Order: sequence, then structure tokens, then C-alpha cells
Amino acid sequence: MATRGVGLGLALLALLLTSAPALVAQDSAAVELDPRLGVPDDAPLSGPALEALTQEISSLIRCPVCQGLSVADSPTTSAVAMQDEVRRLLAAGYSGDQVLVYFETSYGEFIRLEPKAQGFNLVVWIAPFAFLLIGAALVAMRVRSSRAQLADNASRSAPRSASQSQEESQDVDHDPHNEPERDPSLEAYRQRVREEVKP
Amino acid sequence: MNRRVLVVGAILVLPLVWVLGMGLGKDPKRIESPLVGKPAPAFELVDLAGNTVRLEDLAGKPALINFWSTWCVPCVYEHPVLVAAARRYRDRVQFIGVIYQDEPTTIRAYLARSGAWGPSLIDPTGRTAIAFGVYGVPETFILDRSGTITAKYDGALDPATVDALLAEVL
Repeated sequence: MATRGVGLGLALLALLLTSAPALVAQDSAAVELDPRLGVPDDAPLSGPALEALTQEISSLIRCPVCQGLSVADSPTTSAVAMQDEVRRLLAAGYSGDQVLVYFETSYGEFIRLEPKAQGFNLVVWIAPFAFLLIGAALVAMRVRSSRAQLADNASRSAPRSASQSQEESQDVDHDPHNEPERDPSLEAYRQRVREEVKP
Repeated sequence: MNRRVLVVGAILVLPLVWVLGMGLGKDPKRIESPLVGKPAPAFELVDLAGNTVRLEDLAGKPALINFWSTWCVPCVYEHPVLVAAARRYRDRVQFIGVIYQDEPTTIRAYLARSGAWGPSLIDPTGRTAIAFGVYGVPETFILDRSGTITAKYDGALDPATVDALLAEVL
């Protein structure tokens, strides 16, 4: 009984060993089927290195049936099929770049989750920094002009004594000629206020 | 100062308005295929009857390749349109279906009920759909006599669209 079991096991092992090269050959033939792929740039990958790179490249490919998810993050059948294709191509020795270009030739640039930093896409990469710089420049300009205004006001009031300033600030409500800094367009309103508060 | 703010604001905002405005005329659901004008991706698939069909077998006659499945509602609406079109263009165009994420047994049962319009190729790994850049079903590709893709159509076909797409290759 035990001998029969061992015999069956050996037969199964032999079958596996003989069929494995055939499976590999079939797979590589499928890879070569698409002439767009060309010749692999790298050496074939396997094991943890293959899994790590598959994960990395899949995370850069957009799942076509999801909203803003990568193929690595989506459990959908389409995403799983695409991840399997990434794994198969990397295992055959195609580089990560070759795999991304292959997907791009089929789906267009939309399939890349990160747009390439070239041409019109540069706007996406540069605009945030450009807007940050413009914003910082505007804030700096604003701060500088308010500082200059403060300094100017201080220099105007500096030679006068504190009591003089106090007197002026009391007078200013009564004497319209003593208000050079005020906006002349508001004069009508100011006049109305004066009339209304007049005792 | 106000004028300066207006000018700086316009410089910042107008390009943004222009970029967004460019997209107004476009259909957001339609994504242009980079394969249009290029040779169709090579494939070698087996149909439901067990016959192998290769891309090169299609050379010499225009072809309509439709990716579909039985679980896709627009595909069900499209099915009679394709049955009628396959009859109408019988000798002039090859109608090829590629099954997308579906089981051959389900497809067989469906075709027995609704009628077939051409060989249904099984794409078990989804590799051919990926090579054609299929986003979802139904999607249709029109190939000219030399095997170059002349058009891609997303969504259910209607008779007028089939005529318009095929007029380019006939």
C-alpha cells in the first residue's frame, strides 16, 4: 500500500517536472506575442523581489473601473488581471518602465496615476510651488508696505509732544481742515455724523 | 492698487479658466484610445467551439471586435444590434466577440437564447482586453483590411453608429 502511495507521488512529481517547462514556454510565447513590448531590458525576476516590484509598479497604474485607486489597491477583477499582467511581464524580465509604457500604449497616459513631468503636465508639478511663491511674495509686499506706512505715521507724529497729539485728536472731530490723512470721499458721511452727534 | 490686484488676479485666474474651458466641449466618459491609427494588438484566442483565432487570420477584410459579457446590461441591449449588423454586413465585415470576465458556459447559454453574431473568443486572463486598453464593456474596435484600428467606440452600439463606423473601412 505504502509502495503504491510513493509510486503515485513520484509519478505526480514527474508530471509536474515535465509540464513546468511547457507552462513557462507557453507564458514566454504569450509575452512575445505583442510586438509592442520589444525585448526585455532586465533579467527575469522571481520570489520576493518580483512581488515587491509588482506591488510598486501596480501602485503607479490606475484601476480603470475605480475612482482614483491604483491597480495595487483595488480588489476588482480588472485590477487583479492587470496586476497579474504586471507580474507576468516583470517575471519575463521587462523593466518597470517598459511595463508602464506598455500599459500606456494600450490605455493612454490616463492609466498612469502620476502624470509624467513633461510637456503640459509640468503645470501640475510646477503650479503649486509657483502659487506658493506668488502668495509669499504678495504677503511680503503687503507686510513691507504696512511697515512703511507705520514708520511714516510714526515719523510724522514723533516730533510732536504727547499733549499736542492728544489735543489734535480731540480737535480733529471739530476741525475738518485738520484731517489731511482722511479719505475725502467720506467727507459727506463724516459731515452727517457730526450733525447727528451735535448737542 | 485695485488695478494691480485685478491684473495679477487675471494673470493667475485666466489660464485656469482657459484650461477648464477646454474640457467643456468634451465628453468626460469618452477617453481617446491611443491605439486608433495603430496596428491592432496581436492575439491568439480560442472560441467557444475550440477554434484558435489569431489577429493575422483577420487580415484582408475589415473586422469589428466587440468586448462584451452577459453581466453587462448595455451589452444585452447591444446584442440584437450586432446580430442584425452581422447579417447585414455578412460578406464584407468579420464580426468577432471577445468575452470579458465571463464564463464560457454562461455565454453558451446566453447565445443559445439570444442568437450569435460571430465567434466568441475566450480571454481567460484578460490579457487581450488589457492589450486593447479596454476600460469596461461594451467596447468596440474597428479594424481595416490591414489590421489597423480605425475607431474605438465605448458603450452600446446602435445601428446608425455601426453603419458610420464601418463606412470608414468599407
